[in-house]
Amino acid sequence: MNDADTDADVTDRMLLQRMSTGDRAALAVLYRGYHGRLCRFLSRLTRRPDIIEEVINDCFWIAWQKAGSFHGDSRVSTWIMGIAYRCGLKALRQHGDEPVADDALPENRVPAHNPDEDRELRDWLGKGLIHLSVDQRVVIELVYGVGHSLDDVAAIMQCPVGTVKARLFHARVKLRNVLPSLAGDSPMREESVP
Amino acid sequence: MTFQTNPDRDCARAWEAMPWVLQGSAPREQGQALMSHLVHCAACRAEFARQSQLQLAMSLPSDIPLDANVGLKHLLGRLDAPAPQEARSRTAGWLTRALVAAVLIQAIGIGVLGMKLWSESDQPRYRTLSEAAQPATTGSIRVVPDAGMKLADWNALLHALGLRVVGGPNDVGAYTVVPRDSTATAQHLLQQLRAAPGIRLAEPVTRTP
Repeated sequence: MNDADTDADVTDRMLLQRMSTGDRAALAVLYRGYHGRLCRFLSRLTRRPDIIEEVINDCFWIAWQKAGSFHGDSRVSTWIMGIAYRCGLKALRQHGDEPVADDALPENRVPAHNPDEDRELRDWLGKGLIHLSVDQRVVIELVYGVGHSLDDVAAIMQCPVGTVKARLFHARVKLRNVLPSLAGDSPMREESVP
Repeated sequence: MTFQTNPDRDCARAWEAMPWVLQGSAPREQGQALMSHLVHCAACRAEFARQSQLQLAMSLPSDIPLDANVGLKHLLGRLDAPAPQEARSRTAGWLTRALVAAVLIQAIGIGVLGMKLWSESDQPRYRTLSEAAQPATTGSIRVVPDAGMKLADWNALLHALGLRVVGGPNDVGAYTVVPRDSTATAQHLLQQLRAAPGIRLAEPVTRTP
Protein backbone atom coordinates (compact mmCIF):
# COMPACT_ATOMS: atom_id res chain seq x y z
CA MET A 1 0.00 0.00 0.00
CA ASN A 2 1.55 3.31 -1.02
CA ASP A 3 1.11 6.67 0.74
CA ALA A 4 -1.80 7.70 -1.48
CA ASP A 5 -3.63 4.45 -0.68
CA THR A 6 -2.96 4.96 3.03
CA ASP A 7 -4.31 8.52 2.95
CA ALA A 8 -7.37 7.38 1.01
CA ASP A 9 -8.02 4.64 3.55
CA VAL A 10 -7.74 7.06 6.47
CA THR A 11 -10.31 9.30 4.79
CA ASP A 12 -12.59 6.36 4.04
CA ARG A 13 -12.45 5.19 7.66
CA MET A 14 -13.36 8.65 8.86
CA LEU A 15 -16.32 8.70 6.47
CA LEU A 16 -17.43 5.28 7.66
CA GLN A 17 -17.21 6.40 11.26
CA ARG A 18 -19.40 9.41 10.47
CA MET A 19 -21.81 7.17 8.58
CA SER A 20 -22.16 4.99 11.65
CA THR A 21 -23.60 8.05 13.45
CA GLY A 22 -26.13 8.61 10.66
CA ASP A 23 -24.23 11.27 8.71
CA ARG A 24 -25.70 11.20 5.21
CA ALA A 25 -23.24 13.75 3.89
CA ALA A 26 -20.44 11.28 4.63
CA LEU A 27 -22.41 8.61 2.79
CA ALA A 28 -22.76 10.90 -0.21
CA VAL A 29 -19.00 11.59 -0.29
CA LEU A 30 -18.14 7.89 -0.07
CA TYR A 31 -20.79 7.01 -2.67
CA ARG A 32 -19.48 9.52 -5.20
CA GLY A 33 -15.90 8.49 -4.49
CA TYR A 34 -16.55 4.83 -5.24
CA HIS A 35 -19.22 5.14 -7.91
CA GLY A 36 -16.82 5.18 -10.86
CA ARG A 37 -14.70 2.23 -9.85
CA LEU A 38 -17.72 0.18 -8.76
CA CYS A 39 -19.45 0.96 -12.02
CA ARG A 40 -16.45 -0.30 -14.00
CA PHE A 41 -15.94 -3.28 -11.70
CA LEU A 42 -19.57 -4.35 -12.02
CA SER A 43 -19.53 -3.77 -15.78
CA ARG A 44 -17.24 -6.82 -15.88
CA LEU A 45 -20.17 -8.83 -14.52
CA THR A 46 -23.08 -7.35 -16.44
CA ARG A 47 -23.70 -4.75 -19.10
CA ARG A 48 -27.13 -3.70 -17.82
CA PRO A 49 -27.00 -0.20 -16.29
CA ASP A 50 -30.12 -0.79 -14.18
CA ILE A 51 -28.58 -3.85 -12.55
CA ILE A 52 -25.28 -2.06 -11.97
CA GLU A 53 -27.04 0.82 -10.24
CA GLU A 54 -29.11 -1.61 -8.20
CA VAL A 55 -25.98 -3.46 -7.08
CA ILE A 56 -24.13 -0.23 -6.21
CA ASN A 57 -27.08 0.88 -4.12
CA ASP A 58 -27.38 -2.53 -2.47
CA CYS A 59 -23.68 -2.30 -1.65
CA PHE A 60 -23.98 1.14 -0.06
CA TRP A 61 -27.19 0.17 1.70
CA ILE A 62 -25.23 -2.58 3.43
CA ALA A 63 -22.26 -0.25 4.05
CA TRP A 64 -24.66 2.25 5.66
CA GLN A 65 -26.17 -0.43 7.87
CA LYS A 66 -22.85 -2.00 8.87
CA ALA A 67 -20.63 1.07 9.03
CA GLY A 68 -20.53 0.84 12.80
CA SER A 69 -19.42 -2.77 12.77
CA PHE A 70 -16.47 -2.26 10.42
CA HIS A 71 -13.51 -3.51 12.43
CA GLY A 72 -10.75 -2.30 10.15
CA ASP A 73 -9.33 -5.75 9.44
CA SER A 74 -8.89 -4.69 5.82
CA ARG A 75 -8.86 -1.48 3.85
CA VAL A 76 -12.25 0.17 3.43
CA SER A 77 -11.91 -0.19 -0.32
CA THR A 78 -11.37 -3.95 0.04
CA TRP A 79 -14.42 -4.17 2.30
CA ILE A 80 -16.62 -2.21 -0.08
CA MET A 81 -15.42 -4.10 -3.16
CA GLY A 82 -16.13 -7.37 -1.34
CA ILE A 83 -19.70 -6.28 -0.59
CA ALA A 84 -20.15 -5.16 -4.19
CA TYR A 85 -18.79 -8.47 -5.48
CA ARG A 86 -21.23 -10.50 -3.39
CA CYS A 87 -24.14 -8.23 -4.30
CA GLY A 88 -23.09 -8.52 -7.95
CA LEU A 89 -23.06 -12.32 -7.83
CA LYS A 90 -26.49 -12.27 -6.19
CA ALA A 91 -27.79 -10.01 -8.95
CA LEU A 92 -26.31 -12.33 -11.57
CA ARG A 93 -28.14 -15.25 -10.01
CA GLN A 94 -31.38 -13.27 -10.09
CA HIS A 95 -31.06 -11.72 -13.53
CA GLY A 96 -28.80 -14.15 -15.31
CA ASP A 97 -25.35 -13.56 -16.76
CA GLU A 98 -25.06 -10.95 -19.47
CA PRO A 99 -22.51 -10.99 -22.27
CA VAL A 100 -19.64 -8.58 -21.86
CA ALA A 101 -19.86 -7.30 -25.42
CA ASP A 102 -22.76 -5.01 -26.15
CA ASP A 103 -22.94 -3.28 -29.50
CA ALA A 104 -26.07 -1.41 -28.47
CA LEU A 105 -24.23 0.88 -26.09
CA PRO A 106 -24.40 4.52 -27.15
CA GLU A 107 -21.33 6.20 -28.55
CA ASN A 108 -19.09 8.77 -26.90
CA ARG A 109 -20.63 8.62 -23.48
CA VAL A 110 -17.31 8.81 -21.72
CA PRO A 111 -15.05 11.75 -22.42
CA ALA A 112 -11.63 10.70 -23.63
CA HIS A 113 -8.56 12.42 -24.92
CA ASN A 114 -8.84 10.46 -28.09
CA PRO A 115 -12.21 8.75 -28.43
CA ASP A 116 -11.10 6.65 -31.40
CA GLU A 117 -8.11 5.38 -29.49
CA ASP A 118 -10.26 4.52 -26.46
CA ARG A 119 -12.82 2.78 -28.61
CA GLU A 120 -10.12 0.69 -30.24
CA LEU A 121 -8.71 -0.23 -26.85
CA ARG A 122 -12.16 -1.12 -25.48
CA ASP A 123 -12.89 -3.29 -28.51
CA TRP A 124 -9.56 -5.02 -28.11
CA LEU A 125 -10.23 -5.66 -24.41
CA GLY A 126 -13.78 -6.82 -25.08
CA LYS A 127 -12.53 -9.47 -27.48
CA GLY A 128 -10.39 -10.91 -24.71
CA LEU A 129 -12.74 -10.63 -21.75
CA ILE A 130 -15.51 -12.45 -23.55
CA HIS A 131 -13.41 -15.61 -23.32
CA LEU A 132 -13.04 -15.39 -19.54
CA SER A 133 -15.29 -16.70 -16.81
CA VAL A 134 -16.91 -14.23 -14.42
CA ASP A 135 -14.39 -14.99 -11.68
CA GLN A 136 -11.47 -14.58 -14.09
CA ARG A 137 -12.85 -11.24 -15.31
CA VAL A 138 -13.23 -10.09 -11.70
CA VAL A 139 -9.63 -11.05 -10.85
CA ILE A 140 -8.31 -9.27 -13.93
CA GLU A 141 -10.33 -6.16 -13.07
CA LEU A 142 -9.20 -6.14 -9.45
CA VAL A 143 -5.52 -6.65 -10.28
CA TYR A 144 -5.11 -4.62 -13.47
CA GLY A 145 -8.01 -2.18 -13.19
CA VAL A 146 -8.17 -1.37 -9.48
CA GLY A 147 -4.63 -2.38 -8.54
CA HIS A 148 -5.37 -4.73 -5.66
CA SER A 149 -2.83 -7.22 -4.29
CA LEU A 150 -3.41 -10.97 -4.27
CA ASP A 151 -4.29 -10.81 -0.58
CA ASP A 152 -6.85 -8.06 -1.21
CA VAL A 153 -8.43 -10.00 -4.06
CA ALA A 154 -8.61 -13.11 -1.88
CA ALA A 155 -10.34 -11.07 0.83
CA ILE A 156 -12.79 -9.55 -1.65
CA MET A 157 -13.65 -12.87 -3.27
CA GLN A 158 -13.49 -14.72 0.06
CA CYS A 159 -11.28 -17.48 -1.28
CA PRO A 160 -7.68 -18.65 -0.71
CA VAL A 161 -4.82 -16.73 -2.27
CA GLY A 162 -3.92 -19.87 -4.22
CA THR A 163 -7.32 -19.78 -5.91
CA VAL A 164 -6.79 -16.16 -6.90
CA LYS A 165 -3.34 -17.03 -8.31
CA ALA A 166 -4.85 -19.85 -10.35
CA ARG A 167 -7.64 -17.63 -11.71
CA LEU A 168 -5.16 -14.90 -12.60
CA PHE A 169 -2.83 -17.38 -14.27
CA HIS A 170 -5.54 -18.97 -16.43
CA ALA A 171 -7.04 -15.61 -17.30
CA ARG A 172 -3.66 -14.31 -18.44
CA VAL A 173 -2.98 -17.41 -20.54
CA LYS A 174 -6.37 -17.09 -22.22
CA LEU A 175 -5.88 -13.40 -22.90
CA ARG A 176 -2.40 -13.99 -24.27
CA ASN A 177 -3.80 -16.59 -26.64
CA VAL A 178 -6.79 -14.60 -27.89
CA LEU A 179 -5.63 -11.00 -27.77
CA PRO A 180 -3.61 -9.74 -30.71
CA SER A 181 -1.32 -6.83 -30.14
CA LEU A 182 -2.82 -3.53 -31.20
CA ALA A 183 -0.15 -3.26 -33.88
CA GLY A 184 -1.96 -6.07 -35.68
CA ASP A 185 0.03 -9.16 -34.77
CA SER A 186 -1.83 -12.44 -34.86
CA PRO A 187 -2.64 -13.92 -31.46
CA MET A 188 -0.28 -16.45 -29.97
CA ARG A 189 -1.69 -19.93 -29.62
CA GLU A 190 0.72 -21.32 -27.09
CA GLU A 191 -0.69 -23.19 -24.14
CA SER A 192 2.54 -23.25 -22.18
CA VAL A 193 3.71 -20.70 -19.71
CA PRO A 194 6.91 -18.85 -20.58
CA MET B 1 15.85 -10.11 -6.50
CA THR B 2 17.83 -11.25 -9.55
CA PHE B 3 16.75 -13.66 -12.23
CA GLN B 4 18.73 -16.82 -12.77
CA THR B 5 20.57 -17.44 -15.98
CA ASN B 6 18.22 -20.27 -16.96
CA PRO B 7 16.13 -18.70 -19.78
CA ASP B 8 12.95 -20.71 -19.02
CA ARG B 9 13.12 -19.86 -15.35
CA ASP B 10 13.85 -16.22 -16.16
CA CYS B 11 10.85 -16.03 -18.43
CA ALA B 12 8.63 -17.67 -15.78
CA ARG B 13 9.77 -15.15 -13.19
CA ALA B 14 9.25 -12.33 -15.63
CA TRP B 15 5.72 -13.59 -16.29
CA GLU B 16 5.09 -13.74 -12.56
CA ALA B 17 6.39 -10.25 -11.90
CA MET B 18 4.64 -8.36 -14.71
CA PRO B 19 1.27 -7.49 -13.07
CA TRP B 20 2.90 -6.27 -9.87
CA VAL B 21 5.57 -4.27 -11.68
CA LEU B 22 2.84 -2.65 -13.74
CA GLN B 23 0.88 -1.91 -10.55
CA GLY B 24 3.95 -0.40 -8.96
CA SER B 25 3.61 -2.72 -5.97
CA ALA B 26 6.59 -4.99 -6.81
CA PRO B 27 9.84 -4.53 -4.88
CA ARG B 28 12.35 -2.35 -6.69
CA GLU B 29 14.76 -5.25 -7.20
CA GLN B 30 12.04 -7.32 -8.87
CA GLY B 31 11.27 -4.46 -11.24
CA GLN B 32 14.89 -3.97 -12.11
CA ALA B 33 15.36 -7.67 -12.75
CA LEU B 34 12.34 -7.74 -15.03
CA MET B 35 13.62 -4.79 -17.05
CA SER B 36 17.01 -6.42 -17.39
CA HIS B 37 15.36 -9.58 -18.66
CA LEU B 38 13.20 -7.73 -21.17
CA VAL B 39 16.26 -6.22 -22.78
CA HIS B 40 17.35 -9.55 -24.22
CA CYS B 41 14.02 -11.51 -24.35
CA ALA B 42 11.78 -10.52 -27.26
CA ALA B 43 8.91 -12.86 -26.24
CA CYS B 44 8.69 -11.41 -22.74
CA ARG B 45 8.99 -7.91 -24.19
CA ALA B 46 5.96 -8.58 -26.38
CA GLU B 47 4.09 -10.05 -23.44
CA PHE B 48 4.94 -7.09 -21.24
CA ALA B 49 3.71 -4.72 -23.96
CA ARG B 50 0.46 -6.71 -24.11
CA GLN B 51 0.16 -6.55 -20.31
CA SER B 52 0.71 -2.81 -20.42
CA GLN B 53 -2.06 -2.49 -22.98
CA LEU B 54 -4.28 -4.66 -20.83
CA GLN B 55 -3.70 -2.46 -17.81
CA LEU B 56 -4.36 0.65 -19.87
CA ALA B 57 -7.58 -0.79 -21.26
CA MET B 58 -8.73 -1.95 -17.81
CA SER B 59 -8.05 1.51 -16.41
CA LEU B 60 -10.41 3.25 -18.83
CA PRO B 61 -13.49 4.61 -17.10
CA SER B 62 -16.67 2.61 -17.40
CA ASP B 63 -18.57 3.01 -20.64
CA ILE B 64 -21.88 2.31 -18.91
CA PRO B 65 -23.96 5.49 -18.70
CA LEU B 66 -24.68 5.89 -15.00
CA ASP B 67 -25.12 9.15 -13.12
CA ALA B 68 -23.80 8.98 -9.57
CA ASN B 69 -26.17 11.73 -8.41
CA VAL B 70 -29.22 9.90 -9.69
CA GLY B 71 -28.09 6.69 -8.01
CA LEU B 72 -27.39 8.53 -4.77
CA LYS B 73 -30.84 10.10 -4.85
CA HIS B 74 -32.38 6.63 -5.21
CA LEU B 75 -30.28 5.35 -2.33
CA LEU B 76 -31.26 8.21 -0.03
CA GLY B 77 -34.90 7.64 -0.93
CA ARG B 78 -34.44 4.00 -0.01
CA LEU B 79 -32.95 4.96 3.35
CA ASP B 80 -36.07 7.02 4.10
CA ALA B 81 -38.40 4.18 3.17
CA PRO B 82 -39.29 1.72 5.94
CA ALA B 83 -36.85 -1.16 6.03
CA PRO B 84 -38.19 -4.46 4.68
CA GLN B 85 -37.23 -6.14 7.93
CA GLU B 86 -39.31 -3.63 9.90
CA ALA B 87 -42.23 -4.18 7.56
CA ARG B 88 -41.84 -7.92 8.02
CA SER B 89 -41.71 -7.54 11.79
CA ARG B 90 -44.79 -5.34 11.69
CA THR B 91 -46.61 -7.96 9.64
CA ALA B 92 -45.46 -10.66 12.03
CA GLY B 93 -46.62 -8.55 14.99
CA TRP B 94 -50.03 -8.01 13.42
CA LEU B 95 -50.39 -11.73 12.76
CA THR B 96 -49.38 -12.58 16.30
CA ARG B 97 -51.90 -10.15 17.73
CA ALA B 98 -54.63 -11.53 15.45
CA LEU B 99 -53.84 -15.08 16.55
CA VAL B 100 -53.87 -14.11 20.22
CA ALA B 101 -57.22 -12.35 19.74
CA ALA B 102 -58.67 -15.44 18.01
CA VAL B 103 -57.49 -17.71 20.83
CA LEU B 104 -58.98 -15.36 23.44
CA ILE B 105 -62.33 -15.23 21.63
CA GLN B 106 -62.38 -19.02 21.44
CA ALA B 107 -61.54 -19.31 25.14
CA ILE B 108 -64.30 -16.84 26.08
CA GLY B 109 -66.78 -18.71 23.88
CA ILE B 110 -65.87 -22.04 25.44
CA GLY B 111 -66.22 -20.51 28.90
CA VAL B 112 -69.68 -19.06 28.12
CA LEU B 113 -70.89 -22.37 26.72
CA GLY B 114 -69.51 -24.21 29.73
CA MET B 115 -71.29 -21.85 32.13
CA LYS B 116 -74.53 -22.23 30.22
CA LEU B 117 -74.33 -26.01 30.30
CA TRP B 118 -73.44 -25.99 33.98
CA SER B 119 -76.34 -23.71 34.87
CA GLU B 120 -78.89 -25.83 33.07
CA SER B 121 -80.85 -28.50 34.91
CA ASP B 122 -79.24 -31.84 35.24
CA GLN B 123 -82.42 -33.46 34.01
CA PRO B 124 -82.50 -34.11 30.31
CA ARG B 125 -85.19 -32.60 28.14
CA TYR B 126 -86.33 -35.99 26.96
CA ARG B 127 -88.10 -38.85 28.75
CA THR B 128 -87.59 -42.48 28.00
CA LEU B 129 -90.47 -44.89 27.77
CA SER B 130 -89.19 -46.85 30.75
CA GLU B 131 -89.36 -43.78 32.99
CA ALA B 132 -92.39 -43.15 35.13
CA ALA B 133 -94.77 -40.50 33.86
CA GLN B 134 -94.13 -37.01 35.11
CA PRO B 135 -96.38 -36.06 37.97
CA ALA B 136 -99.23 -33.90 36.91
CA THR B 137 -98.85 -30.20 37.48
CA THR B 138 -101.06 -28.68 40.09
CA GLY B 139 -104.18 -27.24 38.49
CA SER B 140 -104.04 -29.48 35.44
CA ILE B 141 -107.38 -30.28 33.83
CA ARG B 142 -108.11 -33.16 31.58
CA VAL B 143 -110.44 -32.15 28.77
CA VAL B 144 -112.18 -34.29 26.18
CA PRO B 145 -113.54 -32.23 23.26
CA ASP B 146 -116.25 -33.52 20.96
CA ALA B 147 -115.03 -35.41 17.94
CA GLY B 148 -116.77 -32.86 15.72
CA MET B 149 -115.25 -29.78 17.39
CA LYS B 150 -113.33 -27.66 14.95
CA LEU B 151 -109.69 -26.91 15.63
CA ALA B 152 -110.36 -23.17 15.36
CA ASP B 153 -113.08 -23.41 18.04
CA TRP B 154 -110.75 -25.46 20.29
CA ASN B 155 -107.97 -22.93 19.93
CA ALA B 156 -110.35 -20.01 20.53
CA LEU B 157 -111.63 -21.64 23.71
CA LEU B 158 -108.13 -22.30 25.05
CA HIS B 159 -107.15 -18.72 24.28
CA ALA B 160 -110.30 -17.31 25.89
CA LEU B 161 -109.78 -19.28 29.09
CA GLY B 162 -106.03 -18.75 29.22
CA LEU B 163 -105.16 -22.42 28.93
CA ARG B 164 -102.38 -24.25 27.19
CA VAL B 165 -102.08 -27.91 26.24
CA VAL B 166 -99.30 -29.77 28.03
CA GLY B 167 -100.25 -33.32 27.04
CA GLY B 168 -102.49 -35.46 24.89
CA PRO B 169 -104.44 -36.43 23.15
CA ASN B 170 -104.29 -39.85 24.76
CA ASP B 171 -106.01 -43.04 23.60
CA VAL B 172 -109.45 -41.68 24.40
CA GLY B 173 -108.84 -38.26 22.92
CA ALA B 174 -108.27 -36.44 26.23
CA TYR B 175 -105.94 -33.40 26.45
CA THR B 176 -104.20 -32.16 29.55
CA VAL B 177 -104.34 -28.39 29.88
CA VAL B 178 -102.98 -26.01 32.48
CA PRO B 179 -103.77 -22.33 33.07
CA ARG B 180 -101.25 -19.84 31.72
CA ASP B 181 -101.96 -17.59 34.66
CA SER B 182 -101.31 -19.28 37.96
CA THR B 183 -103.82 -16.99 39.69
CA ALA B 184 -106.76 -18.54 37.87
CA THR B 185 -108.63 -21.06 40.01
CA ALA B 186 -109.10 -24.58 38.72
CA GLN B 187 -112.68 -24.69 39.88
CA HIS B 188 -113.70 -21.61 37.92
CA LEU B 189 -111.93 -22.89 34.82
CA LEU B 190 -113.67 -26.23 35.19
CA GLN B 191 -117.04 -24.56 35.28
CA GLN B 192 -116.29 -22.49 32.22
CA LEU B 193 -115.01 -25.53 30.30
CA ARG B 194 -118.02 -27.63 31.19
CA ALA B 195 -120.31 -24.80 30.08
CA ALA B 196 -118.49 -24.34 26.78
CA PRO B 197 -120.11 -25.92 23.72
CA GLY B 198 -118.19 -28.83 22.18
CA ILE B 199 -116.59 -29.99 25.44
CA ARG B 200 -117.64 -33.47 26.35
CA LEU B 201 -115.68 -33.79 29.60
CA ALA B 202 -113.57 -31.57 31.87
CA GLU B 203 -112.14 -33.02 35.05
CA PRO B 204 -109.27 -31.99 37.31
CA VAL B 205 -106.20 -34.19 37.23
CA THR B 206 -105.59 -35.81 40.55
CA ARG B 207 -102.02 -36.69 41.62
CA THR B 208 -101.11 -40.31 41.72
CA PRO B 209 -100.70 -41.33 45.30
